[in-house]
Amino acid sequence: MRRTKPLAALAVASLLALAACGSGDGPGEGTEGSFGETDAGKDKDPNAEGPAPEVEGAESGGTITVFLPGDYGPDDLDPTNGWSVTGNSIQQALTSRSLTQYRVDSDGNATLVPDLAVDLGQPNDDYTQWTFQLRDNASWEDGSPITAEEVAFGIARSMDSTAFPGGPGTEYSTQFFAGADEFEGPYTDKDTDWTEWEGVEFDNDANTVTINMSKSFPDMDYWGAFMAIGPAPLGKASNPPAYGQNIMSNGPYKVESFKAQDELVLVKNDQWDPESDPARHQYADKFIFKFNADPDQTDQIMLSDNTESQTAISNDLSASSYQKALDTLGDRLVQQSAQCTGFLYPDYEKTDMAFRKAIAYGYPYEDVWAATGQVPGVTRVQANSIMPPGMAGKPDYFVDGEAFSYDPEKAKELLAESEVEPLYSAIYYEPDPLAVAGAKVAQKGLEEAGFTVKYTPVQESPYSTWTNPDDKLNKSLTVRGVNWCSDWPSGSTFIPSLFRGGATYNTGGFQEDEIDEMIADVPSLPIEEQADAWGDIDEKIMTEFFPAIPVNYYNNLFTFGSKIGNPSGDEALGAPNYKNVFVMQ
Amino acid sequence: MSAETAGPETLGHLSDEPKGEDPGTKGRTITGKSPMRIAMGRLLRDKIALVCMAVVLFFVLIAVFAGPLQKLFGVSTETVLPSQFLNLDLTPKAEYGPPYGPLTMEHPFGIAPRTATDNLAFWLEGAQNSLQIAAIATVLAMLLGVTLGLLGGFLGGAVDRFLTFVTDFFLTLPFILAALTIAPIINERFRDSPNYATVQVVALIGVLAGFGWMSVARLIRGEVLSLREREFVQAARVMGMPTGRLLIKELLPNLVAPIVVASSLMLPAFVSAEAGLAFLGIGVTTRPSWGQTLNQGISFFETYPLYLYQPLIGIVLLVLALNLLGDALRDALDPKTRR
Repeated sequence: MRRTKPLAALAVASLLALAACGSGDGPGEGTEGSFGETDAGKDKDPNAEGPAPEVEGAESGGTITVFLPGDYGPDDLDPTNGWSVTGNSIQQALTSRSLTQYRVDSDGNATLVPDLAVDLGQPNDDYTQWTFQLRDNASWEDGSPITAEEVAFGIARSMDSTAFPGGPGTEYSTQFFAGADEFEGPYTDKDTDWTEWEGVEFDNDANTVTINMSKSFPDMDYWGAFMAIGPAPLGKASNPPAYGQNIMSNGPYKVESFKAQDELVLVKNDQWDPESDPARHQYADKFIFKFNADPDQTDQIMLSDNTESQTAISNDLSASSYQKALDTLGDRLVQQSAQCTGFLYPDYEKTDMAFRKAIAYGYPYEDVWAATGQVPGVTRVQANSIMPPGMAGKPDYFVDGEAFSYDPEKAKELLAESEVEPLYSAIYYEPDPLAVAGAKVAQKGLEEAGFTVKYTPVQESPYSTWTNPDDKLNKSLTVRGVNWCSDWPSGSTFIPSLFRGGATYNTGGFQEDEIDEMIADVPSLPIEEQADAWGDIDEKIMTEFFPAIPVNYYNNLFTFGSKIGNPSGDEALGAPNYKNVFVMQ
Repeated sequence: MSAETAGPETLGHLSDEPKGEDPGTKGRTITGKSPMRIAMGRLLRDKIALVCMAVVLFFVLIAVFAGPLQKLFGVSTETVLPSQFLNLDLTPKAEYGPPYGPLTMEHPFGIAPRTATDNLAFWLEGAQNSLQIAAIATVLAMLLGVTLGLLGGFLGGAVDRFLTFVTDFFLTLPFILAALTIAPIINERFRDSPNYATVQVVALIGVLAGFGWMSVARLIRGEVLSLREREFVQAARVMGMPTGRLLIKELLPNLVAPIVVASSLMLPAFVSAEAGLAFLGIGVTTRPSWGQTLNQGISFFETYPLYLYQPLIGIVLLVLALNLLGDALRDALDPKTRR
């Protein structure tokens, strides 16, 4: 899913820092930029059982305050609507269970383990039908057991693109589940009863749920880790939008109060049975999430080590406080890689390869990062491929033998070879002063590299221009951009969305039949070959066509108070590891 | 601004009665002095006023000579590629000045965190833009306010009722909200224009003046209402003087004092409004502005406080000096508020 903070244009008011999921090999190593190889795609443990292994030294009790600076959080808590890093990382860890989930061990490895299901699902030979055996001891916060019918109803809800336009079901459920043509979801489709929909079948006695696919979908077990593929109370109790403000929890915590864009308070759910859950814990008594906290204020609180901050977590750190945090916090400053890549995406028809490579050498990477308030080499690391580190099958190659770096002379040579006019026409998000500064610096660097630069300010998210094919301004651009994060560690959530002809976020309009065919062929390959197949496509696109310039990978900085035990990140979600933290008494 | 810059009750007229009780003239031969000279004399004896005048003059000179001054110091507002100048926390490296090193001649005010641009150049141009925008906006607001006030007060009747309605209507519009709404619309409309930077400045001046004239209009209308019944106006009317001439030749000269005082108080209000809007990110984004620098300086307050203090001192000094000068002018021009 796309990141709403576009290149050099991070919207202060970005509502959904979308994207989630995937696992890497631990936090990136900062200045070196070495993220390590990965086996993340193969990290699955279908036999994991509850209770989850105890965290060393863990204690019960206490209240944990989580500050989310500049992050508005979700507008509602409806699991079906959850498709943001913030919302999903909190709810999937604490309140809302699904078929599968991630367990993060002490080494920082994320493993896909069962959640409401007893295993990771039983697919048929061609992955067009998946059957999940549910566990018997899972229950809602009111004590009633979670039935197969409720899980099936939750899955049927994810088909409703009208009631949940921002939900992940719009991308996966409607694309892969059978009968998507006839069934538009339980709230929009009044003619069909959801139980008659062919996509999902349930058996309350056997406690199984079977999902039928319209095409081969080997990644169903990863898709099952989204809270959207979890249970929902039957009938009117879960009608949107009311349910989103007052959800029924089934995880270790339940909602005490929720004020959108302000505060979420979670308290222990005494009906949650540790035996039923292979990955979650229930250490703290209470979690308080403070959305949209003031960034500078939060940094000061976290660095002060006062009583308030000792049991607090912050999911962001300003660059201006980085040095001080590095000096004083030690391992309570956690650098967590997010599975995201930022691209500059030149218009494929208007430009040629020499022009695009000239941008790769003429774009002042580190200077733009600094001007936009990022720490070069720490929160932003130079990218070399489409797929981010931590993704199964990520190829290790450099298009020109070595990493691109700012080299104006080289860019000028390439521009001389190019047959198109050296016009770099792009947009920036004006309401954010950092984006304005970033655009100025980029312009300076590109002009020195021989480009004629035309930057046009926009007042809305750049994506609303980039993804609107009829926009006059959009038609005049020669360079657009896109920042993309994976939903799980597979190239299938990355490459098709950006490089398939006609895809919404293929902002450069890249279209090669050869690549389209290769993308279409991957799902029919044997599952163990798919990761490498994505890697091959990645390398082929970049070395043969070079349609987009991979600019950077992302790292997040989390800070933890001195009385928070087990300060660590959740690499699967790119968030603090809420499942395993506790308060040291 | 819908805020009251000066109230009619505190503004007097130039008194044309002899100043027998003026202590300065006691025991001397009584000589004729024009009201303006009397006021100037009072102003020149006011020490605070003199200091403020010096400060304002200093800023005006800076604003006028911002370009040559930058050349003199060898600095410019040009964008640089910042990463080579910065530490890991995006503050300048010690060899380029504070916070970790001494000030250097190359960058007398140091360089900015994050963007590594020269602070002095930005400060000078910030002063220039601030004063330029505030001065033009004041002139425009005055023109508008005085014209409408004169017309409404003198013509009376339906015209007065209409103009009063318009004035009251504008007073009900919340300034900040209106600015927040208008700025993006104008920016969106002219974003493709090659003169985008100019359009932005003009729009800002328009917003400031468009929401700043009302208090002046009301003030002038009130003054005119009392003046128009006076004998010299009646006499001019009887002689058949055309309305336009009557307004300009007879009424306007009698309104100089309130106009001067109102403008001198409106100027600082606009300086701070400009900085405030730039701080909120809706003012001028294409030129340096003190408000912008303030906004960027907040995150570095702990590591690099000097960067925040520079625009802050600029704004505080200028606004304070202008306000005190405005007060001194009012005192000097109005015999009723003698200190």
